[in-house]
Amino acid sequence: MRHKTAALGVDAERRLSVIDKVVLVGSGKGGVGKSFVSCGLALALARDSRRVALLDLDIHGASVPSYLGLRPPVSSGTDGLEPKAVGRLKVMSVGLFTGEKAVPMRGAEKQGLITQLFAMTNWGRLDYLVVDLPPSMSDELLTAFGLFAAKSALVLVTTPSPHGMEVVVRMRALAKTEGIPVLGSVVNMAYLQDGAKRSHPFGEADRRLLEESLDSPILAEIPLVQELNSGGLPEVLRRNGAARAFGQLLPKVLRWRPTPAG
Amino acid sequence: MHELSVAQTIVETVVSEAEARPAERVAQIDVDVGELMQLDRRALAAGLRVLLDGSGLKGARVRLHVEGAAFNCRRCDKQWGMAEAKRQLERVPDALRVREPDSREIPLHFLPQLYPAFLRCPGCGSSDVLASRGKEIRVRGVLFA
Repeated sequence: MRHKTAALGVDAERRLSVIDKVVLVGSGKGGVGKSFVSCGLALALARDSRRVALLDLDIHGASVPSYLGLRPPVSSGTDGLEPKAVGRLKVMSVGLFTGEKAVPMRGAEKQGLITQLFAMTNWGRLDYLVVDLPPSMSDELLTAFGLFAAKSALVLVTTPSPHGMEVVVRMRALAKTEGIPVLGSVVNMAYLQDGAKRSHPFGEADRRLLEESLDSPILAEIPLVQELNSGGLPEVLRRNGAARAFGQLLPKVLRWRPTPAG
Repeated sequence: MHELSVAQTIVETVVSEAEARPAERVAQIDVDVGELMQLDRRALAAGLRVLLDGSGLKGARVRLHVEGAAFNCRRCDKQWGMAEAKRQLERVPDALRVREPDSREIPLHFLPQLYPAFLRCPGCGSSDVLASRGKEIRVRGVLFA
């Protein structure tokens, strides 16, 4: 008797089976610093001796390799593609295969690519997988929600701007319908620290309104980092007050435990 | 090297099917191999043989079916096949090729779905192309006896 098997989904399940927790970092809006926050959080987890990897799902505008000073090529071993290493942190991104090339791609193809990239990567056993979600609430986001649902929680990134806050409220609503718990929000570019002087070039976030609208706490406020273009994010974070802000975010992420039923 | 990883995934798929039917024996496994991945069929077959023998599926016959790749342009409707795609893929720069112990492979060997980054319409030059077939590995069927 013939028994049909639709597709090979086993690898993704096998990879996920040895990953304890998946932290999705998203916003729904572009330009708020999701990749920066993803990198900062992942580096903070690595500094805390956690087994951690960062998966960049921004197919069209991958910026994680640039932030972390990584370039193609990738190597492969006996159990798939080997993630790049930044100290203890493992990193994988479409940008590590395409370099400067444009990646024009439609919805269904993106869904397949995300699953392939996750399944083909030899992550090994991880305490945390941090996922840098792309802007918008389309295919990549829904694929990530489906792929990591049972082990995942969402960190929302916004700027102090009311426009950024409006979009994360919509993102919060979508996460709720998809059953993804929200740990809270990170306000990026919250202030500019110049010696003892602190200014707010993008205004001040209405903290109470943000927490009420998202029905979750503000986890951290990250200062505007002006040196990002100088490369080498780990060193930049050390020099800048941002490292302290990510240090405040860390224990709030570490406290999260996925519910047994997902 | 990647062929062994693909073989491992195929065997895991078949083992999970077999576990659901403990009273039956796996007699034959049919696998569709998408041409776009440019896998070495001989290496894949050898990997499958070794892994099947070590997983309690010894004796199962393996049939690999190459699924030809087919492309079409969404702009001008031109259609083409793997021969043209290969010509374009030969131009993938070495800096982007994945390092294997004994070779350097195009990224599509591992991530076939990434083809829009590397292929253009040979007619109008558009990047808005679709691979309609031949880009996946799929267990077509498992024959139980």
